[in-house]
Amino acid sequence: MKNDKVFFIAGFLGLPIAVVILFLLAPAMLTIIISFTGLDHRLRWEYVGLENYRRILTDPNMLLFIANTAMFVAGTLAFNVGMGLLLALISTHVIEPIGYLVRAIYLLPRVTPSVVFAFIMLWIFSPLDSGVINSTLIRIGFNPIPWTTSFPWLFLFIVNGLVGCSLGMLIFTSAIKSIPSDYIIAAKVDGAPYITIIFKIIIPMIKGHIAFVTAYQTLSLITSFEYILLTLDGGPGYYTTEVWALAAFHKAFAQYSLSSQYGYAAAMTSFLMVAAAILTILYWRAFRLREMISQPKIEV
Amino acid sequence: MGRFSSILLNIVAITVALIGMAPFALLTLLAFSRNPTSIEGFTHENFAFIWTGKLFADPRYLQIYPDIHLVTLNTLALALGVSGVVVLLSSMAGYILSRYSVPARGTLLGLILALHGIPVIILLIGLYFLLRSMGLINNLLGVIMAKTTLDLPLGIWVMKGFYDSIPWDIEIASIVDGAGRLRTWAKVMLPLIRPGIAALAVLEFISGWGEFLLIYTLIFSNTSWTLSMVIRGLIGEMGSINLNLIAALSLYYFIPVLIFFILAQKYLLKVSLGGIRG
Repeated sequence: MKNDKVFFIAGFLGLPIAVVILFLLAPAMLTIIISFTGLDHRLRWEYVGLENYRRILTDPNMLLFIANTAMFVAGTLAFNVGMGLLLALISTHVIEPIGYLVRAIYLLPRVTPSVVFAFIMLWIFSPLDSGVINSTLIRIGFNPIPWTTSFPWLFLFIVNGLVGCSLGMLIFTSAIKSIPSDYIIAAKVDGAPYITIIFKIIIPMIKGHIAFVTAYQTLSLITSFEYILLTLDGGPGYYTTEVWALAAFHKAFAQYSLSSQYGYAAAMTSFLMVAAAILTILYWRAFRLREMISQPKIEV
Repeated sequence: MGRFSSILLNIVAITVALIGMAPFALLTLLAFSRNPTSIEGFTHENFAFIWTGKLFADPRYLQIYPDIHLVTLNTLALALGVSGVVVLLSSMAGYILSRYSVPARGTLLGLILALHGIPVIILLIGLYFLLRSMGLINNLLGVIMAKTTLDLPLGIWVMKGFYDSIPWDIEIASIVDGAGRLRTWAKVMLPLIRPGIAALAVLEFISGWGEFLLIYTLIFSNTSWTLSMVIRGLIGEMGSINLNLIAALSLYYFIPVLIFFILAQKYLLKVSLGGIRG
């Protein structure tokens, strides 16, 4: 009987763990190992020590990549969290069917295949006359504006922000719904205008949730590059929107495999790994994520 | 809040909903548009590929763009593969973590939570060489395993949550009856967490169906392409000429997601919270 239990646990837990080790931990380790080699398109594994790291630290472009990453994270985060809060506030203060509809619709960009959403946004903000906004402008007698080339960052904030804002929206919604209604009724009886209720009661009471969403999104945005790759691909021009993660990706998986520098790219991702690890540890402490271990995560 | 401002707020909310719908409505209109670059005229000819499998009449393009039927089957294989493996492995691990006091359980749960946030970029280079050495590069099976593993930590968390919500007595009764642990799990527990399985299966189907980055890096030959690669290719090559065709293909790609989304929205509004990267 005792044996039976051990076998059961070993099998049921062992198989998933083996898969995680093989396809998640092993590739991560392999990336670190590759960062100490000069591996490129010739596929020769030669140990070069810290050479890749030295080259990264002396490459003048790296400052540009860091600045771009900071810009990308800050802008997208502002859009993300602001939009999420706005959607949560609106959808909790209207009749429930409409509120539910708003939340469902703003969850769509997240489940839409990334290429499809990128295509739609590229077409809407296209610099060409055939873009949605530009063709409308032309029809009503204005000059077209080269949106994505003139405002590349704003475009990326909107695209990534629309994909990301549903996280904040859903978390803030459940937080707002759990505020005891006495607080709000009392404020209303006192004659407080709604804007005061929002800023003096609701926002202070969901402060923790706002901090959590901001922290979580920062962590994922630092390494995020898929929608940039699919839309502006680091352009327009010389590395205008090339963030660190995208630069690493380009170095490894360049359009022409002859210019692939796997070792160098792996070293670039090591820096991201360190940044992500530091942030995770900080958040672990700050948000006492340990408490989540004892609770099921599903019922947010 | 007065009656008037309450009505006003509802109107604002409806406007916000309409703005959120606009990108998808525009896509639909363009897909049925006769004019290749703007919404003008009505035709369903852009969807001819659904019957013929061919995006272009010109045979030269067949070299570049594989048969859409084949591409759809590839996409479906990826989605079903990811969904099936994630659901199976998560409902196994989730059960143990919910019910049994295994050694270092807390550490394990913490590790799973941390792994959930692991960024793809960190894995890609290692994955590329690992799958190469395993003969799984340029193979959809390799992509299925990679994608499955990325989504597994979330899946385990979700399934553990569903098991946690089921009371112990039924299960204990079954084990006391001598049904055996495996049998108890399969015959008693799995039916009870069917809503969880359904929710996770849908979420993972959507996740696998829409995958782009792993296909882009780990697949080279177009016979293993999924719809995301075809659309990506079309945008790059003729993103300013054949917009209505790209829109039709995009809509074709998006419709299954939309159907699943509508069917499972109630769960997705809750479950998808954890499954986020950026």
